[in-house]
Amino acid sequence: MRGAMSALAESEGRSSPAWRFPQPYGWRSGATAALVAAVLLFTGHRVELDRALVMTGDAVAAAAGSGRPSQVAAGFSTVARQLFPLQLDERTDIDRIENFDSRRLPPFAHVETTTVRSRELNPNTLLLEDRFDRKAVLVQPFGYAFKVGQKLLETLEIALWGTMIAIVFGLPLALLSAQNLRFGRMAYYASRAVVGLCRAVPELISALFLVLAYGFGPIAGVLALAIHSVGFLGKFYAEDIENADPKPQEALIAIGAGRLKVFRHAILPQVMPQYIAYTLYILDRNVRMATVIGLVGAGGIGQELKGRYDMYNYGHVGTILVAIFLLVLILDQLASHLRRAVI
Amino acid sequence: MSVIFDTVEKRYPDGTVALNQVSFEVPDGQFCVILGPSGAGKSTLLRCVNGLATPSRGRVIVNGVEIGAKSLPRLRPTIGMIHQGFNLVARSTVAANVIAGALPSTSTLSALVGVYPRRFQQKACTLVGDVGLPEQFLRRRVRELSGGQQQRVGVARAFMLDPAFVLADEPVASLDPQTSVDILALIAREARARGSTVLCSLHQIELARAFADRIIAMRAGRVVFDGAPGALLPTVVGRLYGPETAWAGRAEMRGALKCAEQ
Repeated sequence: MRGAMSALAESEGRSSPAWRFPQPYGWRSGATAALVAAVLLFTGHRVELDRALVMTGDAVAAAAGSGRPSQVAAGFSTVARQLFPLQLDERTDIDRIENFDSRRLPPFAHVETTTVRSRELNPNTLLLEDRFDRKAVLVQPFGYAFKVGQKLLETLEIALWGTMIAIVFGLPLALLSAQNLRFGRMAYYASRAVVGLCRAVPELISALFLVLAYGFGPIAGVLALAIHSVGFLGKFYAEDIENADPKPQEALIAIGAGRLKVFRHAILPQVMPQYIAYTLYILDRNVRMATVIGLVGAGGIGQELKGRYDMYNYGHVGTILVAIFLLVLILDQLASHLRRAVI
Repeated sequence: MSVIFDTVEKRYPDGTVALNQVSFEVPDGQFCVILGPSGAGKSTLLRCVNGLATPSRGRVIVNGVEIGAKSLPRLRPTIGMIHQGFNLVARSTVAANVIAGALPSTSTLSALVGVYPRRFQQKACTLVGDVGLPEQFLRRRVRELSGGQQQRVGVARAFMLDPAFVLADEPVASLDPQTSVDILALIAREARARGSTVLCSLHQIELARAFADRIIAMRAGRVVFDGAPGALLPTVVGRLYGPETAWAGRAEMRGALKCAEQ
C-alpha cells in the first residue's frame, strides 16, 4: 500500500517527457484525400455529373418561374401528364368478347356506349372524312386495379419462393464453406466457388436465359432470384458460422458431438438473430428485384408493366408504378417490425 | 475409470513447452486436483485427456486405451468436461444447454430437429434440480443468469451422460469465494454419486486442500508435488507461487470454507 502511494506521489512531481502524442492525421491522410478527390473529379466528369447538375439547376429555375425552357422540366411534365390520371377500371370492347351475354355481366360491371371518331378516305370524293362509330364497351370499375393487385401477389410469391429456395441451398453451402467446421479442403473450395458464381450472376441476366429455357412466367423469376440469393445467403451464413463464439462449440466437441450436432446446438442458436436479419433483407430485396425481372418476361408485375409500356398505355403504367411504390413501402415497415420482434 | 500420463510432453508451435515429462496415474474414483499458477500447463494437461490437445510426445491412457484419433470418438462421450468460461450458449435456455450434454448419444436426426428422447428430457430436469436451480430456470436464457448459476448449468451438462471421468478446467476461476466452494462441493458430490474420477485444475490452494483426495502441483510444465493434501507443505507452496503471494486470499477462502462446513 505504501509502495503504491509513493509511486503516485512520484508521478505527480515528475515533469512529462518530451514525447509526442500520435496525431490522427498526417501527410499520408492528406495524400489519400487528394488522390480520392482527383479520381472523383475525373470520373464524375466522365459520367456527365457536371451536366446533370446544370440541367437540374435549369429545371429547378424553370419550376420557380424563370421562363427559360428546360429539357428536364419538360420531360418530367410530359411523364406526369401521361401517367395521370391512373387507369383503375378495365375497359373491353364488347366486339372482342366471345359469346357476350348482356344479361350476365360480371359483378359491378356495366356497359357504356361511346362514340369513336375515325378519319377515312372517301373513294368517291377523294377527301378525308370523319366517321363516327358507336361502340359498346364493358366497363369493370377497379377491374384493372384488381388485376394489378393479382400481379403484385404473384410478384410477392415469386420473391418468397426465390428466398425459400435460397435458404434451402444456401445453408448447406454455408456449412461446407465455413472453415471452422472442417468439411475438408475440397468441399471448402467447391462450395466457395458455387456461392461466388451464384452471386456473380445478376438476376436480370440469368432471368433472360431462364425465360428462354422455361418460357415466359414466374418459373424463370423464381429460379433467377433463387440463384442470386443463394450466392448472398451462402456467403453471409458462412461468415457468421466462422465468427461464432468457439467456446460452446468446444464444449460439445469435447464430449464427442459431430459437426452437424455442434452446428445445430452450439452455432445456430448464436447466429439465429443475424440469420433472420439477412434472410429478411434478402426477401425485401427479392420483392424489389421480382418487379424488375418481370421486364424480361419472368412473371409478376414487371411483365405487366413492360407490356403496358410497349403499348403506350401510360395510364396503366402509372397505376402499376404507384402500386409497386406502395408495396415496397408497406413491406419495408413490415420487415422492420418483424426484425424487432424476433431479435 | 483410471488415467495414466506416460512421459507426456507438449510443445506449442511457438516453442512454448506446456508439459515437460509429465508422468502419473490417477486411479478409479479419485478426486485429483492439479494445482499451479497461470501458465503452469494445467489446462493443457486436462485437454490431453479428451483430445482437445494432442501430446507432442508420450502417451495418455484412459482405462487401458491410448488416446488417439481412433479411440477418441468412443472415449469422449464417457468424459464430461466443465470449463473455466462455462462455454454455454448464452442465447439458449438452461434446458437446451443442459440436454446438449446428451448429444453424443442422440441420433443425428433427432439432434437436428432438436427433440431429444424422453429419458434425456427427464434426466436434464433431474440434473437441473440436483445442481440447485429451480424449475422455472429451465426456460430462462443462460445470459440472464449469474456466473455461479451459469457454472451450475455447466456442471449439469457435464453429468448428462453419467461420465466415468470428469475434467474440470479451472471451474471456479471467475467466481467469488463462497460460490467457488459451493460449485466444487457440487462437482465432488455428483462425482461421488456416480463413482466418477475427477481431474480438476485449480489455482487456489485452500480449495485444493479442502476438496482433493490428492494434489498434483505443477510449475512451468513440470510436476513439482504429488501427494495427499496434508503433505502439501508451505515450502512447496512457496515454490509454486513465490513466498509472499502464496497465502494471498487465504483468510477470505478460509471463511468461505468454514461457512460451507456449517
